[in-house]
Parts: sequence; C-alpha cells; structure tokens
Amino acid sequence: MLAYEFMQRALLAGTLLGLIAPILGVYLMLRRQVLMADTLSHVSLAGVAAGSLLGVNPSIGGFAAAVIAALLIERLRAVYRTYAEVPVALLMTGGLAVAVVLMSLGKSLSQSFSAYLFGSIVAVSSTQLGLIGAAAGIGLLFFSVFRRPLYAITFDEETAGISGVAVRRLSAAFSVLTGMTVAAAMPVVGVLLVSALLVLPAALALRIAGGFVAAMILSVGIGLVGIFGGLTLSYTVNTPPGGTIALLLLAFLILGIMAQKLWLMVRRHGGYGRRHTKVVPAIKTVVRVTDRTEYRAAAQGKE
Amino acid sequence: MITQGAIEMILSSMRDVEFGYGESPVVQGVTLDVYKGEFLGITGPNGTAKTTVLKLLLGLLKPWSGRIELNTDAFGGQKPVIGYVPQHASSFNAGFPSRVIELVRSGCHGRLGLFRRMGAEEERLVQSSLEQVGMWELRRRRIGELSGGQKQRVCLARALVQCPDVLILDEPTTGMDAHSRLELYRLMRHQTRQHGITVVMVTHGLEEAGRYLDRIITLEKVEDDMAPQADLSQAEQTAGERWGGE
Repeated sequence: MLAYEFMQRALLAGTLLGLIAPILGVYLMLRRQVLMADTLSHVSLAGVAAGSLLGVNPSIGGFAAAVIAALLIERLRAVYRTYAEVPVALLMTGGLAVAVVLMSLGKSLSQSFSAYLFGSIVAVSSTQLGLIGAAAGIGLLFFSVFRRPLYAITFDEETAGISGVAVRRLSAAFSVLTGMTVAAAMPVVGVLLVSALLVLPAALALRIAGGFVAAMILSVGIGLVGIFGGLTLSYTVNTPPGGTIALLLLAFLILGIMAQKLWLMVRRHGGYGRRHTKVVPAIKTVVRVTDRTEYRAAAQGKE
Repeated sequence: MITQGAIEMILSSMRDVEFGYGESPVVQGVTLDVYKGEFLGITGPNGTAKTTVLKLLLGLLKPWSGRIELNTDAFGGQKPVIGYVPQHASSFNAGFPSRVIELVRSGCHGRLGLFRRMGAEEERLVQSSLEQVGMWELRRRRIGELSGGQKQRVCLARALVQCPDVLILDEPTTGMDAHSRLELYRLMRHQTRQHGITVVMVTHGLEEAGRYLDRIITLEKVEDDMAPQADLSQAEQTAGERWGGE
C-alpha cells in the first residue's frame, strides 16, 4: 500500500490533518460552534466551483471562500448574539445554493465534484498537500502561542475581554484557521464529512479526558488512529476514504461511550475499579435526608 | 491597612449616562462615583439594569450619552487590573474539561503573558485564593462535578489570583449557602481593608451583606412601561446611614 505515491500523499495529508483538526474540534465544541465546520465546507464547495469557472485553481478558490465565510460568520455572530446559530444556517444554505448554481453552469465540473463531496485518496494533489501542510503548520503554531488566551475565551469571552484578552481579534483568527483547515481537509474526507474529522475525535476526548490538555492530546490520538485506520480500510476494501474514516471515528465514539458507562457501572457496584479508586475522606460527602414533619408537629403540639 | 484618604479617591465616575438596548433607554441620567478601596453594593429589584450599570462601568457597553471616566491616577497612571465574576458563572460550560486548579491557574495568565511558566509565587497565589474561598480541598475536581455555589467560588478564586485592583462581582452569591455567603462578604471586606482592592458587587441580599458594605447604591424604576429608568441620583446612601454599619 505504501509503495503507491498517492497513498503516501494521502497518509501524509491524513497525519497533518490528524494533528490539527481534532484540536480545532475541541475548541469548536467548547465554543458551541460545531456546525461551523459543516457550513464552511459547503461554502468552500462554492469557492471550488467559482475557481473552476474562473480558471483559478479550485483548491485555492475553496480555500479563499472558506476563509472569507469564516470571517463573515464571526462578524454575524456579533450581530445575532442571541441566535448564534442563525449566521451558520444562513451561510450553509447560501454556500450550497451558490455551489449548485455554479456547478450547473459548468457541466464538465460535475465529475470532479464527487471527489470534493465524498473525498478521494487520488484527489490529494501536490497543491492540496501544500495547503494542508500550511493549514496544519499555521494551526499548530497558533494553538501553541495563543493557548492561554484561547483557553480564556473558550471558558468565557466576557471575562476574558475584561481581563485584557483581545477577544474579537483572537476569535477572528480562530475562525480563519477553521476555514483553512476545513478547506484543506475537503480532498481527504469530502465536503459532507469534513466535520466528522473535527468533531468525532473531540467528542470522545471531551467525554473521557480529565483536563484541558489531556482532551487535546487524546483527541489528536483518536483522530490519527481513525484517519490511518480509515485510509487503510478504505484501500483494502475499496470504499470511499471519507465515509470509511467517519464510520471508524463514529465506531470509536460509540465504543468509547459504552466502555465509559461500563467502567462507571463496575465502579459503582464495587467491582474491579473500587480497589483502585482512592477516596479522599475530605471530599466524600454523604447527604442524609430526614423528614422533620413529625418533630415539627410534636413541637407545635407542646406549644 | 488602607487609610480613609484612599477611600475618598474617585476611581471611576459616571456622569449623566443614558443607555438602552433597543429604541428606548434602560438607564437615564445615571450619576455615580466609585471610590478607591471601598466595598460598594449595587442593589435594586429585578429589571432595574444593575448588570447594565456594571457593564457600563467596565466599558463593555458604550453609553448613548453622558461620560464614564476611569481615573488612572488612582493606579499610578497604569490601567487597573480588573477581576470579574459574571452573573452566570455557575451555569456556563458545565462540560468544560478542566479541573478546579487548572481553571484557577488560568487567572495567572494575564501576568505571565504568553510564554512565562507558572512559578512558585503564582502557585502560592493559587493555593491562597482557593483556600480563601474554601475550595482547596476540591482542587482536583472537574468543573462539571461542582454545584452552582462551588462554581461561583471557583470563579471568585480565579478573579482573586489576578491580584486585581478592582473586583467586580455580579450577584456572586447565587447558589451559595448562608455560611458561604457570609464568608464571601467577610473576605471582600478583608480584601478592601488589607489589600486596598475596590470591590463593586451587585446583590439582592442586603439584609446579609449590608453590614459589610461601605456604601449601597439602590437602583429604582422611577417610570414604568414605556420608558423604564434607573435613577441613582437620589438613591445613593451609605451603609452606615441604612444599617449602622461596622
């Protein structure tokens, strides 16, 4: 499998995406912006179509459209403060509508679109690999340098702003990075499944991780295993890579939730886990509920 | 110990401020001074724009008209460090993947900047803040496992860790039991007296908090329905006048 150049490219692209997408997913989930990835992928598709029609590299067209849409969402988020999901829905519909109309104008585009919609290992060109590398590099640098203010705005934007964090600028930069990553991930997993790469590893990591950093590391681990496993499985059984990766990550999530519930059940019923659980007496709280009705009635009787 | 002179220095002032969210104003003609080193309580019935007044003071909202000035001379010409505990602190991000100590440590990020690592002094501050709010024992707990009152206390510890010049608390006792509430009022009074921190607190619990406050501002609706207003000019009085304070 590794002898083929397209597989080497796909695995390299997968590794880079596996490093950045799950970290982004953790922040998106905690900021309640999960649908943003889906929206940006739809808008990015419109950019791909526009790029093709205008004779610009479709990948660069998709990249530009996703970044512009990300900034627009950020702007609209301030306008629709109470209904934060409205700008996301507006752009998702608008993006897909523009993509469909542009696609109908260029009949020859239809075939290459299926590669963008569902992802294809052979679709990862050198330009796309370069864009994925750029998105991953910039993303990892961004998350390393700004990890502290990002933690603050993810917990509470208002308090972060009062503490001196440049919330709007940081939030805009985060949105741009989301747009870049989504556009970069499209050739591997496809437009329709791009959010799976961001959200599923993060969803599992957030359930089982004890702390913030642990959630990041776990999500990257889960994402990488899902991508490598999905790509290998896709090559072996000849299935679309995007769908295979998404299904594998979904299976991880379901198994993870089941395992967690089983573990908690075993611990509660004094099984294997109890012998290994350290109970700190100061933290253990026992609540006793006493019905005082009789005492009160008796006291009132005495009076 | 803070002297009476320090308490008389104006830290922030609002002059004839008007502000609203839609077409009609929520507050009108608000004139208010906050003095350095005081423990100021802002109270009033629901819908009297207490949080709005706080946000105007913090600069989070821009007034339609009037002036809001911060006296930087009170902080040696520097921008003051502001610690803030929001009203909804106990309800947001229940699933946030952080332990208590991790969240409180994040309060040090402002002074550490982007790269400097936590030192012994910062760790001491974190421990002392958690001990002051009675949460040191629960430092390893996940945020989501805490009760509303406990989350509120963690947010307060996070604000204290910043070593703030001004502490703004928006109904900080929401979800706290009676003992914790009194502890909080005592702690805030201690912070003003021993460390010169200015504390501005929105509260409904005047019966409990009154004796600890230096001054109380009462917000009242002077007109209803079409143009709700908060008139502060006549409502300001000292805690001493009202409660025969300490």
